[in-house]
Order: sequence, then C-alpha cells, then structure tokens
Amino acid sequence: MTRRVAVTGIGVVAPGGIGISAFWDLLSSGRTATRGITLFDPEGLRSRIAAECDFDPFAHGLDAAQAERADRYIQFALVAAAEAVADCGIDFGAENPWRVAVSLGSAVGGTTRLEHDYVLVSERGQRWDVDHRAAEPQLHRAFSPSTLASDVAERFGAQGPVQTVSTGCTSGLDAVGYGFHTIEEGHADICIAGASDSPISPITMACFDAIRATSPDNDDPEHASRPFDAHRNGFVMGEGAAVLVLEELEHARARGAHVYCEIGGYATFGNAYHMTGLTSEGLEMAKAIDTALGQARLDPTRIDYVNAHGSGTRQNDRHETAAVKRSLGAHAYDTPMSSIKSMVGHSLGAIGAIEVVACVLAMAHQVVPPTANYETPDPECDLDYVPRTARPRKLDHVLSVGSGFGGFQSAVLLTGRGGRKR
Amino acid sequence: MSSEVTLEELAALMKKAAGVTVDPYDLEARVDTPFAEFGLDSLGLLGIVGELENRNGRALPTDAERCKTPRDFLDLVNSTLTAGA
Amino acid sequence: MSARATRRTAITGIGVVAPNGTDTETYWKSVREGLFVLDRITREGCGHLPLRVAGEVRGFDPSALIEETFLVQTDRFSHFAMAAAGAALKDAGLSDAAADSPYSVGVVTAAGSGGGEFGQRELQRLWGQGSRFVGPYQSIAWFYAASTGQISIRGGFKGPCGVVASDEAGGLDAVAHAARTVGRGTDVVVAGAAEAPLAPYSMVCQLGYPELSTAEDPARAYRPFTSAACGFVPAEGGAVLVVEDADRARGRGAEVRAVVAGHAATFTGASQWDRSREGLAHAIRGALDEAGCAPEEIDVVFADAMGVPEADRAEALALADALGPHGGRVPVTAPKTGIGRSYCGAPVLDVAAAVLAMEQGQIPPTPNVFDVCHDIDLVTSQARPAELRTALVLSRGLMGSNAALVLRRGH
Repeated sequence: MTRRVAVTGIGVVAPGGIGISAFWDLLSSGRTATRGITLFDPEGLRSRIAAECDFDPFAHGLDAAQAERADRYIQFALVAAAEAVADCGIDFGAENPWRVAVSLGSAVGGTTRLEHDYVLVSERGQRWDVDHRAAEPQLHRAFSPSTLASDVAERFGAQGPVQTVSTGCTSGLDAVGYGFHTIEEGHADICIAGASDSPISPITMACFDAIRATSPDNDDPEHASRPFDAHRNGFVMGEGAAVLVLEELEHARARGAHVYCEIGGYATFGNAYHMTGLTSEGLEMAKAIDTALGQARLDPTRIDYVNAHGSGTRQNDRHETAAVKRSLGAHAYDTPMSSIKSMVGHSLGAIGAIEVVACVLAMAHQVVPPTANYETPDPECDLDYVPRTARPRKLDHVLSVGSGFGGFQSAVLLTGRGGRKR
Repeated sequence: MSSEVTLEELAALMKKAAGVTVDPYDLEARVDTPFAEFGLDSLGLLGIVGELENRNGRALPTDAERCKTPRDFLDLVNSTLTAGA
Repeated sequence: MSARATRRTAITGIGVVAPNGTDTETYWKSVREGLFVLDRITREGCGHLPLRVAGEVRGFDPSALIEETFLVQTDRFSHFAMAAAGAALKDAGLSDAAADSPYSVGVVTAAGSGGGEFGQRELQRLWGQGSRFVGPYQSIAWFYAASTGQISIRGGFKGPCGVVASDEAGGLDAVAHAARTVGRGTDVVVAGAAEAPLAPYSMVCQLGYPELSTAEDPARAYRPFTSAACGFVPAEGGAVLVVEDADRARGRGAEVRAVVAGHAATFTGASQWDRSREGLAHAIRGALDEAGCAPEEIDVVFADAMGVPEADRAEALALADALGPHGGRVPVTAPKTGIGRSYCGAPVLDVAAAVLAMEQGQIPPTPNVFDVCHDIDLVTSQARPAELRTALVLSRGLMGSNAALVLRRGH
C-alpha cells in the first residue's frame, strides 16, 4: 500500500512577513522587503543590502531562556514550527513520539554566532592560536549543525528520526523531500519539516562578495532583486525560516484534519559540473522535475505554476528557464513562473522551505505570487514571470525548484484538488 | 606604484589561486587559448583578480573577471595598472 | 530500505582515512591488533588549549591522491572525504562508475563540523585585513555540503546528492540514506563521512561539550565502560563506502562484501544520557525489524562507547532491553577507543570495521580498556576469532540522536 503525504500545517518567519498572514499579504501585494543592512555595519562590503526580518523573539512567543540559548536562526525555526504545529491541530502530547520525525535544513547553520565568537577569541583576526577564555558558553551549540533539528524536536517532543539537512541552497527543498520520504517509506507518520538560516553577517556577505554573486545596487535596495529581468545583477541576501507539518494522509483524514495539499513527488540530482557554475542547458534540473512528475504519474502539461529558484544572478535565471522549457515543453510558455526572492531575498538554506510554503499558500488562495521588480525582458529568459502583480489562477499542481552550490538541483511537486494519480 | 603583470607572474598566480600548474613558456605560446583549457575556472580567475587588486591597492574593472584568455586578461589588467600609475 | 524486498543493498567498496591508517588495509591491521594512537594534539596553534588529546590523522599527503585544483578550494575534511571516496570506488572496481550513466551514481555524506580550518583562515583575513581579502573559495569550502559536491564533481556523479548534518549518528543515517536511495532506483551511492575538527577555533568550539575529555594523559583520556570513564576524545578522519544494488553488483562480477539490512534512528534529547537507553533500544528494535533479524542472530555489536558513565550505562542497558538475555552474551567491541571519535565519521569507520571483521572472522578488541564495569561481553586486549554473519553498529550524538544499523555478511 502506498503511503501518501499531506501538508496539514504551515508556519513562516520571512522578511516583511512574520507569520503566515503577514507573509501572504507581502507576497500577494508584490511588496519588497529588501533594504540596507541594519544587523551589522556593512561598510566596506560590495553588497550592503539584504532582506532582514524585524524579529523580536519575545513578541513571537519565545521565553527568556529560549531567546538566550538559541541562536537567531534557531529562534526563527522555533517560531515557524510553533505556528505550523498550532495550525495543524495535532495534539503532540497524544501522539506516539517515536512516530514523529523532524527534518530541518540549513545551509550555514550557526555561522553568524561562530563568527561573532571568533572575533572575540582572535582579537579581531589578529591570532591563529585563539584564546578560548573569551568564548561564550553556548558556542558548541553553534558549532554543531544538528542543534537546529535537536532544539525543535525537543520543543515538540519528537522522538523519531531527527535530521538536519545541509545541501547548501537546496537545503529547504531537500529537508521537505527527506521528510516526505520518511513518511512515505513508513519511518514516521508525522514530520516537522522545513528550514532556517540567518546568514546576514560579515563573513557570509564577504564570501558572496568575493564571487560577485550578490547585487551591488546599494543605492536602490528595494529594486535590487530583479529575477529574470534583463538588468538583473545578482541576488540579495535574505534570512528566515519556514516549517511544514507533513502527515501521512490516512492519519490526517482519521482526525478530520484540514489538508492543504499533498507532496506529489520530490527529486534531487547533482550537475557534477561545478561547485558554483551552471550550464546553460539545465539538464539536471530538468531531470529532477521529470522525476518528481513521474512519481506522481503527472503529465507536464498539468503543471499550473512553477515557483522558481529565480535568484537573480545572470547564470541562474538562464539555466532555470532552459530547464523548465526542457521539462514542460511548449506548456512552459503557458505556465506562470515567478520568484519570491524578488520580495524576500535569498535566505540560502531556508528559502526552499519558504518557497514551498509560498506554493501551499498560492494553492490555498488560488493566486500566483508575482516577480516584483520585473521590468525588462531578457531574450534568454522568455517565459511568463508574472511581473509585479499577483494573478488569480486555478492551481492544482505546483512545482517548486531550487539550485544550489555543490551543483545540486531539486524539485518538489505539490498536488491539490484532483490529488495525485496512482 | 604599480608595474605590469608578466606572463611569469600570471602563471604563478594561476598556481597559487587555482592550483593550476602551467609553464610560463607554455602560457606564452598559448596566450590566446581560453583559460578553461588550462583548467582555470571562473572562481580561479576571481581569485587572481582579488589577489592583484589587494597587491596593488586598487580595483580592476569588472571586465577583468570575464576575460577569456591570458592575452585579454593581461592587456586589460596592464592597461588599467599603467594608466594613472 | 522499505524497498528491500525488491532491491537489496550491498556494500561493495570501502575507503578509509583514519588516525590509525590512511588506507583500508592499514586501518584494519591496526584495528585488529588494537593499536592505540591517541596522542597529544600537535596541529599548529592548538598547544595552549585545554583539549590536549585527540586522534590526529598523521602522514596523510592529499597531493599524492587529489588534483591540486580540487585541493586549493577545499578544507581538510573534504580532502579526507575525496581520498576515502576515491579509495572506496577503486576498491569496488567503479573508478569509472559515471562513464556510462552519470545519473546512476549518487553521493551522500554526513557532516558535523564543516571546513573549520579553511574557515578560520578566511575569518582571519576578513577581520585582520578586510573583506576584500576573503577568497572566492570560502563560499564553497566551509559549508557542510562541500564534500558531497566535490565528490560528485570529481567523479562525474549526477545521481541524487545528499548531506545529513545530523550529529554523530548521522554517519549511520548517511549509510541508510544511501541504501534507501538505492531502494528507490539509483544503482550506486557513494556514502560516508569524514571530519577535520582539530583546527584551533574548531577546538575552542568543542570545549563547551560537557562530554569532552580534557584529560592530559592519552592513556587515561577515553576509557568507556570502565569506572575511569571521563568523556570522549575527538578525532579526525572517516570512511566512505560504495553502496550498491546487490543484483547489479553480482551482475558485474563484484563482490558483495556486506548487505545493509536494517536501520532506525531515534531522538532522546541532547546530553540526556539516561533517556538514550530507551532511544537506543528503540532504534535497535527498529533496525532488527527492518532487517527481519532476531536478537539472537546478532553476532557482534560495535558500540557507541561515549565514555561518559551515564551514557555507557545507558548503552549497556539498551542492549539488554533490546536483545534480551542475548544482550549480555553477544560480543561487544569499540575499536574507536584506539583512535577517538571523528564525529559523523566515527560510526562509518565502525561500519567499515564491521564489514572487515565479518570477512576475516575476527572481532577486533577495544584498545586500552580494561576492568569493564557493565554487564556486557566487551572484547578487550586482543582480537577474538568468531564466525560472524550479522553485525549491529550503534551510534549516538551529542545533540541527542541515536541510531542502529544491521549489516549481514556478503556472499
């Protein structure tokens, strides 16, 4: 018997939209949350802009002990998970804890804290033989990437498989995908799945500066993230978290739960080409899309919307356009494809999960979020990118795709009304 | 003070920044051969650009990181460094 | 592995870079003889730190094994991983695995510490000199996915690529992830973990672990299951395996060295070692169930052996809980007391040792451990000959994960 996987709860902490309601308001209105960096003094950097969360841990339900102990990216995850858990209506105390899993992604994990303490122990980069006495007591929790999933599992009493996934910028999609597999293959009935990152710190900004991946439009941050536009010049860093409660479909039905949609398929491949470079053909991303569709036995012409990786770098948007055309054929031209990174920036490992939540909301509202700032068509990017304004549309089958350093290409398929054919 | 970057220096930079071993004479003989054929990728070239910028204390034009061959690269870099030196 | 009825997953290649041997043959010889290599840390800039003892990988020359273009853009942890992956593929007779069908080969690694030495160097440039001195490879060397990406690129592997940054037990999760990927249709997955946590700042980061042994004397630093247990000793290195569809392996004439038969993972909270008894027992039962294996069939246990009294007690009791009376009779070993714990790499090294032990009919000893104070049959002093058909490998993480893996002998 095939086990099907439903989405029954969602939660989000995104720039300009903390909580599902504010997040959807931002996306559906096409506003952008990109601005000059305030989290640290960015002087001297090439890219000094980002999409930041105006996040107050206490206002969002964390207590003093949690706020003290947990790094910013874990605070995001705890808040997003609390929203998703409340939304799904499961009484976790009454569930078999061994059947509850956690699958959370992060690209850079505790890097921001690691850098903060590095500055203390190295006397601002003056010594290799760092002085341990200046380190903070919780530093080991930033060093271990699994602190993310561990803290969330502890908070909600999960005792099944608990995983942190770290595949760079596809971490969010892959964490949802691993959660999907965990339930489909019978290792759990419920999975708290998603991703979080808070990478807005000097070292992370500097390392993307060094490879010219981020936009230098410091004078016009609101319009700096321009995916698919002919004048795009890099991505704008973001931060945030999103969490979904994934649940075996019969488990959800038995308790009369509201089912947003199902995970219809998931696939990931490597391009085995380059750690950061992308080909112009998009073969491997197309393979991921084809495989995810194949799992649901869904014809490509049934896809109603593609939520793009759409980072706004020259090579990514060209690569991705080619991949989607390769998979969807002529139907690609009839399929809206937008990038919410135009509004909330690129939060590295977190964004994949934030985008899946955006897809769930798009299906719930039957509205396609736009690509903000899209003005000038690029001949190499010739699909319908839903410029600037959200668009009502019948959405039954939605794809979210992502691409990350390491050459990873991932696709998640969501199926709503009409279900998946098996 | 800035001086011109020679083929020998470029070969040394390719080794240091990207781990690409190339004999300077070979580089001279194949000065119009794409960097990619020497095994130098975009990140490696960015590393060389960064190294030259830091060494000379001045920025190079953004076209530098897009140069495809040793000749294009040296022409651009040296015309920038000598102008206003 | 839920697809095991249709696809059995074999281990067909092993690659090792460990403190007691930088190739599989040397590693096995050292493990079988119970060689003890824990020593004072000698890496540059570490001598003043209150973490004195570790398992260092010495005499490892990456330039003899890996192209310089890969070495300049990667940290030591990826050097280990690339070297071990290359050795495992060669061992499996798959050095050219991607030539015909690149999508049929995937990669999954577990990572717990990332590219710490590389990262510290770039942090020093950033804070000491300025942001323009950060090089282009920081973006791809420090993050946890570096090794998977580089192994994929170096080998031309376009199959599913994964990274579980899941605590020590993540090493076993990576092997299970590979087996399940094979179950879903990928022919071969290169799977494992290697770590390099002995750079100065990485060591500072580990000082906060309450379980860390800060003993000065290598001989006294890591002695699990004894009344002298005072924590664990970290290590470098790890192992990579070639995990492959068993029928395909036989079809190409490759030796099935072991079968990945069952796995389960649970979570019982960071540093809550008394609770890990229940978590580990539950994981063992789950792995046995998936393998269709009775407790009495287990011929040897490779223990987690944390070296913390409460954790050691919990592990001994978990064996009794899950295996019944057999838990007190089955031989248990922990070769890692001779080399330390290389975080996610540690349980993959144990998987490698378990496969070799089954092949050789020898249970390797637990180096430097005497006077066991728990009701387990810990193999000490010297290797014990035994007919081994089934092995159980256990692992726990400092952040609360527990995992169990059941291996069956090949043939």
